[in-house]
Amino acid sequence: MATETTTTTPAAPSATTAEITPLPAFSPDLYQRAWASIPHPSLPLIATCHAHSVTVFSLSTLSKHSVLTGGHTRSVRSAAEERLEREIRLQSGENDKETEEEEEAEDEWELTLVLEGHENEVKSVNYSPSGQYLATCSRDKSVWIWEDVGNPNPSSEEEEEEEDEDEWETVAVLQEHDGDVKAVAWCPDVPGRKGKYAPPRRYGDDVLASASYDNTVRLWREDGDGEWVCVAVLEGHEGTVWGVAWEGRPRENDKFPRLLSWGADEVIRVWSLKEPEEEEHGEGAAGGGNNTWGFGVPNTMRRSLKEEWECTAVLPKVHKGDIYSVAWSTETGLLASVGSDGVLALYQETVNTTEKNEENETNGEAPTTTSAGGWKVLTTVKGAHGPYEINHITWCKRYDAGSERKGEEEMLVTTGDDGVVRPWQVRIQ
Amino acid sequence: MAKSDLDNANPTVLSVSQLPSRNLAKGHVRKGPDSKYDHILFPKQWWAGSSLNTDPSVWTSDEDEDDDLTLATDEPIDEQEIYGENYDPSSCTYLLSTISDPEHPVTLGQIAVVRLDDIHLSPSPAERLDPNTLTNVEVDLTPTVNHCSLATVIGLAVRVRLENALPPNYRIVVRMKDGSHAQDDQVNKQLGDKERVAAALENDTLKGIIEKMLETCV
Repeated sequence: MATETTTTTPAAPSATTAEITPLPAFSPDLYQRAWASIPHPSLPLIATCHAHSVTVFSLSTLSKHSVLTGGHTRSVRSAAEERLEREIRLQSGENDKETEEEEEAEDEWELTLVLEGHENEVKSVNYSPSGQYLATCSRDKSVWIWEDVGNPNPSSEEEEEEEDEDEWETVAVLQEHDGDVKAVAWCPDVPGRKGKYAPPRRYGDDVLASASYDNTVRLWREDGDGEWVCVAVLEGHEGTVWGVAWEGRPRENDKFPRLLSWGADEVIRVWSLKEPEEEEHGEGAAGGGNNTWGFGVPNTMRRSLKEEWECTAVLPKVHKGDIYSVAWSTETGLLASVGSDGVLALYQETVNTTEKNEENETNGEAPTTTSAGGWKVLTTVKGAHGPYEINHITWCKRYDAGSERKGEEEMLVTTGDDGVVRPWQVRIQ
Repeated sequence: MAKSDLDNANPTVLSVSQLPSRNLAKGHVRKGPDSKYDHILFPKQWWAGSSLNTDPSVWTSDEDEDDDLTLATDEPIDEQEIYGENYDPSSCTYLLSTISDPEHPVTLGQIAVVRLDDIHLSPSPAERLDPNTLTNVEVDLTPTVNHCSLATVIGLAVRVRLENALPPNYRIVVRMKDGSHAQDDQVNKQLGDKERVAAALENDTLKGIIEKMLETCV
C-alpha cells in the first residue's frame, strides 16, 4: 500500500489497538452450513439463513427465538429485514424462482407474500432506505427492482389491519450483468447521498449496487423517465465479486458514501464517486474546466456512463482464499472481513490525508485527490470457526447480559459452514 | 444411450496393472506412482449404495482411535489416499479413482481422468500439523476428450466426493488440467464457486447423476 503522505493532519488517534474475543455462540448450533445472519434494524433479533429455513435468534438471550420454515424448497441464502411503521417484515431469498416476504405478528412469523419472477435461485435481497423498493438478484444474471404499491399513503397506516394490503410491483428487470448476480445493496440514506457531491437531479436519490460472477460491480439509478439505468460499471476485481457494502457513516462535508466490494480474488476495494468540485487537482484528468459534472468527460476516453467511480483504496491483503463477506460499521467506520480461510480480520482507516499517492490500477491517470487514504489491519483471528469456512459477518448491537451498554455497544457476528453463529466482542483502545 | 451419442465412444481403459497403487503395509515409505503396482485390488463392492452425503466416519472407519481429532496427525492423508489407496483391503477407503465415469462402466482412475500425479497437497501431509491447519488439495482432471461436455459433472463429482470424505480443514480446488479442455476457465470458475456447487446439488437430476457416479466408491 502506497500510503505516502505529503501533508498529513496528525490529529490521529495514536496507535489504536483492538482486541476481538469470542462470546458464547448462539444456541443451538444449526449443525449444517449457514449462509448469513442479518440483524433486525430495530428489534434485538438476528435471522440466520441455513438450508431451507431461517432461524431467528434473540440478541438478548443469544438463543433461538423462532424458526421460519415452509415456502422455501431450496436453500435460503439471504434475508433482509426492514421496519415500516409498526409493521415488521422479514424477507428471504434464494429459492427457486421466487422470493418471499414474512411478517411478524405476536411473535409468530407469517408468510405474507411470495414474489415470483426469477428463473433461477435468488441470491440476495435488500430494501431501499425508505422501504419503497426491494431489490433481488439471481443466478439468472438479472437484478429485479420491486416497488411497494400496497401502501401508497404510508401516513394513513395507523390501523394495523390495513397492513394486509401488501403488494409489490416489478418496476425494473436489469439484465446487463454477464454472470450470476451475487449480491445487491442500496445506498443508505446518509446526508452525503443528497449532498453537494451527489449527482445532478436527473436521477432519483436511490442508488443500488450489484456484485456479480462477471467480476464487475454495477450501480443503478432511476432516471427522469422512471427507467432504472446502469450509471457505472466498476471493474478491477479478477474474480467473482461476492459482495458490496455502502459506507453507512456520514462523511465530512457530506461527501457521497463510498462503496466496498470484495471477492474471489482475495481483494477488498474501496470505491469513491469522483468529485468534480475539487478543481485544483481534478482538472488534469477530465480536461474540461467548468463543465457540469458528468458532461466534461470525452466519450472517447470513457464509456458513456453517467457516473465516474474510482477505486481509491485496496485494503491490506490478509485472506488466502475467497473473501465472502465484509461488514462496515456505521458507528466506528471499522471494517471486518471473513472468508474461506476461516480468518476474521479487522481494519481501520488511517489518518485523513489531504493528498496521497494514488495506487490505482483501474485507471492510469494522474494522482487524484481524495481523503480516502490507507487502511491498516488492527487485528486478526485465525480459525474463528475452527477449520470451517466463514460465509458472513455483520456488525450488530449488543443486548445480552454481558454488555455494559445494551443497545449501543457494537459486536461482530460471524456465520460459518459449521452451522455456528458466533458473536464477538470488539474492544478498541 | 446409443453408442454414437457418447462424447467419447471409445475411451482408453487402463488395465489393472497400469493403475497406480500404494504399498499394503501401514506406515510405509511413500513411493511415487512408478512404484510397483502388483498389489492393486479393485473395490469388492461395486454398486454398494450411495456414498453421497455419507457421514464423515467414512474416512475414519479404518482407524483404531476413536478420537478423530488425533486422526489427522496419526495418519496424515496423502495424495495416494486421495487418489484411492488400498492399504487395507477390508475397508477400501477409495476417494477418487473409484468414481465411475458418467458414460462408461469404468472408473475415473481406469480412464486416467484422475491421475495420482495430478493430485497435490499443501502443506505436505508429512508435516503433521494440527488438525485445524488448512490444507489445500488441488486436483487437476484430464477429461478424455477436450470438448467433453461432462467435464463439469465429473469435476463436481470429484469435489463432492472430497468434501464429503475429507475433514473440514481441507480446501479443495478441482480444475481441468491446462489445455485439456476447451472451456477450462469457465469450468474451473464454476467448480470453485461454493454457491454454484451447493445449488447444483439441489438440482435433482444432477444430484442423481453424481450419486450414480459415486456408487462405486465404498
